[in-house]
Amino acid sequence: MKHKEMVYLTPMPVRIWHWLNAFGIVTLCITGLQIRFPDYISVFGAYKAAIRLHNTAGAVVSVSYMLWLMYYLVVAKSLMKLYMPTLDDLKTGIFRQAFFYFLTYFLGKPNPHHSTPDSKFNPMQKATYLVIMFILLPLVIFTGVLLMYIAPLRELLLLLGGIKMLIGTHFLLSCCFTAFLFVHIYLATLGHTPLAHFKPMWNGWEEEEIDDGSEKTR
Amino acid sequence: MRDFTWKTVLFLAFFMMMTISARAAAPGNERCMNCHGHMDIKGPAGMKIYIDPVKFAATTHAIVGCTSCHDRVSKGHPGDRYNPPRAACGDCHKPVFDEYAKSLHASKAGCTGCHNPHEVRLPLFVSGDDINRKCARCHDTRKTIQSHSTWLPQADLHIDSLPCITCHTGSRDYVIIMSIESRLPGSRNDFKISSYDELAALAQAADVSRVIDLNNDKLISLAELRDFNHQLRGRNMRLWGMMVPETVTHSYQILDNRWDCSFCHASGPKAAQKSFIAFPEKNGGYTRLVVEKGAILDILYGTPDFYMLGTTRSTPLNIIGALIVAAGLSFPVCHGFFRFLTRKNRKENNHEA
Ligand code: HEC
Ligand code: HEC
Ligand code: HEC
Ligand code: HEC
Ligand code: HEC
Ligand code: HEC
Ligand code: HEM
Repeated sequence: MKHKEMVYLTPMPVRIWHWLNAFGIVTLCITGLQIRFPDYISVFGAYKAAIRLHNTAGAVVSVSYMLWLMYYLVVAKSLMKLYMPTLDDLKTGIFRQAFFYFLTYFLGKPNPHHSTPDSKFNPMQKATYLVIMFILLPLVIFTGVLLMYIAPLRELLLLLGGIKMLIGTHFLLSCCFTAFLFVHIYLATLGHTPLAHFKPMWNGWEEEEIDDGSEKTR
Repeated sequence: MRDFTWKTVLFLAFFMMMTISARAAAPGNERCMNCHGHMDIKGPAGMKIYIDPVKFAATTHAIVGCTSCHDRVSKGHPGDRYNPPRAACGDCHKPVFDEYAKSLHASKAGCTGCHNPHEVRLPLFVSGDDINRKCARCHDTRKTIQSHSTWLPQADLHIDSLPCITCHTGSRDYVIIMSIESRLPGSRNDFKISSYDELAALAQAADVSRVIDLNNDKLISLAELRDFNHQLRGRNMRLWGMMVPETVTHSYQILDNRWDCSFCHASGPKAAQKSFIAFPEKNGGYTRLVVEKGAILDILYGTPDFYMLGTTRSTPLNIIGALIVAAGLSFPVCHGFFRFLTRKNRKENNHEA
């Protein structure tokens, strides 16, 4: 017999971070597009307005990234547990999960992973979020800061190979984020209802389908 | 080849200037330069009456001759305390004079505020840096950066990469001029244009363009440029680009459309096709060598430090970026398609879609 249970998955600071971040990244992608292709795209009117907005959104994303990092490192102390794939995850977990997404999902089999506050992410999520949050996001913030202060940070710029190297990296990273967004949002609709994964990102509580009757609801 | 014609015209012009001024310098000049061409000449306190012979010889004014501008130099000069008159620039440069008189700067500075009549040069033979140094005599660069940064993002960078006259006169036909710069000793961020002597030592030749133009064809190919940029990294040098007008006007004004960044930043990749490298000459001027078309747009090592937002983006990079985005988009599309086809399976096993 299946029944539904409520699990408190996503604490308030993480939710605040996530939506600041999501809003920030989407703004960055669109303004960035205008900044690179001003002769084709003019969503925010004046070029200067797009630059100002891009810089502001960049600051918002950087600050909220700090919030996220501090929360997980200092307050919740669960960063490694949640985000670091275990050896098992790497050896079999990822493949099991990929097998689910690409095959058994279509056959109607259940998701092999169940979210609990201690193990929120399936192995594929862990690996992706790890790359995004520990490599791509810091890199895009770093290159962005350098590009915001080219003249004062010239020394560092030259050391890293010049403006074009940074612009190129920044641009390709932003493309990766855009690609990630499509996949991320889509995968988030694969819960037992299309909105099931969105709700905990909004109010913290996830509705879980549990097979046996053990009482976990708080 | 269009570049070739360009190069030829440029060089003919330059050599004509050089030879004309060397041969046809007005005969009276030497007499005056016997005294005024020596560093140790002393004039009235505070007046610089030394005239740099090398710089003067490079001007067209050397052909005009000292006495055309300072006529009636007395026999007893300099002992008789009679001060020779000075011609007004407007006498010979009527069109420029009239244009300048109408500009908002006419009341702020005379011609000699910006030009030393004994060191004038055509715009072709000056660097963008030289032009800004003219303005910096009266307009403190730091203050200018401060006042412009209230509305201009990264004003410091802009003023490093643009002569003031790009925004404050109707000057037109912009090209990218690159100069080789050396780091100032003891400084981290400050560079100055490498001197002729520095480059001659590097090139081990009198023709300093050999530092980049290895095959000496007076044309900088993309390959030569890339090579040079690779070498620069270890040498405390860089190649610095500025957007400089080829046609200089004296219509000083505050142009409204320069408020709007898209005047430069949305001009599209076509705008930045023409570029030159300016090599210093012994006489303080510059020779420009044409750079292969498209160098500015090269993905990385053509001009690693010159990038104009919105204008010099690289097409290959755009394509790679588009492929990444397309790969991301294809996942939801394909997966969603099969998800839709197999929706029944999940209905049967589960109770929701
Ligand atoms: C014998 C050396 C000598 C020669 C030759 C000479 N000058 Fe001078 N000139 C001087 C000196 C010294 C002064 C500074 C006079 C003073 O103290 O007022 C001077 C001053 C001047 C001044 C500035 C006067 C002022 O105070 O406003 C001009 C202009 C000038 N010379 C032009 C010429 C020209 C043009 C010639 C050539 C036709 C020439 N000089 C030849 C020595 C020379
Ligand atoms: C194109 C015209 C022109 C020519 C050619 C010219 N001068 Fe002058 N010269 C001037 C003007 C104008 C001034 C006044 C500059 C100023 O007010 O700053 C001047 C100033 C001077 C002064 C005084 C220094 C000063 O800054 O006021 C001397 C000395 C002088 N000239 C010598 C010469 C000598 C020597 C030659 C030739 C080798 C020569 N000039 C050629 C236009 C000319
Ligand atoms: C006696 C006439 C005469 C006077 C006076 C004169 N010039 Fe010239 N100038 C010329 C000629 C001729 C040329 C070369 C043709 C041209 O560019 O118009 C020239 C060229 C120039 C150039 C271009 C540089 C070059 O080497 O060709 C500048 C800049 C210049 N003059 C500035 C001035 C300034 C500033 C004054 C006043 C201090 C002045 N001139 C006074 C005759 C004069
Ligand atoms: C506010 C600064 C400034 C003033 C004032 C000024 N000029 Fe210039 N002028 C420049 C600059 C900058 C250039 C371009 C660089 C160069 O050739 O030195 C230039 C170039 C020139 C040229 C060469 C233009 C060409 O395309 O061949 C002439 C001639 C000239 N100026 C004459 C004058 C005369 C005459 C006056 C006075 C009526 C004057 N300038 C006043 C800044 C000034
Ligand atoms: C001989 C001194 C002198 C030189 C050289 C000079 N200026 Fe000026 N300029 C002034 C003065 C004085 C003012 C008025 C005070 C102010 O606004 O700073 C002024 C004002 C201006 C203004 C503002 C005008 C306004 O109405 O607000 C502009 C723009 C300007 N200069 C541009 C330039 C440029 C560009 C150059 C170099 C090519 C230059 N100036 C070189 C003296 C100079
Ligand atoms: C990107 C274009 C641009 C460049 C480059 C630029 N300016 Fe301006 N400048 C402007 C505009 C636009 C204004 C009007 C701004 C205002 O009224 O607040 C202005 C205003 C000024 C003013 C008058 C107001 C003030 O801030 O004092 C001066 C003086 C001036 N500029 C000098 C310079 C000098 C000197 C340089 C070179 C070192 C320079 N500008 C470079 C665009 C430019
Ligand atoms: C409009 C844009 C976005 C939407 C709609 C969205 C939606 C969601 C949803 C529904 C979840 C919960 C499901 C899950 O855990 O996978 C989630 C979690 C997450 N998202 Fe997003 N997201 C967006 C943008 C982003 C961006 C731009 C990033 C990073 C750069 C990001 C990083 C994450 C991370 C790390 C988690 C896990 C958070 C945690 O619980 O610690 N998201 N997102």
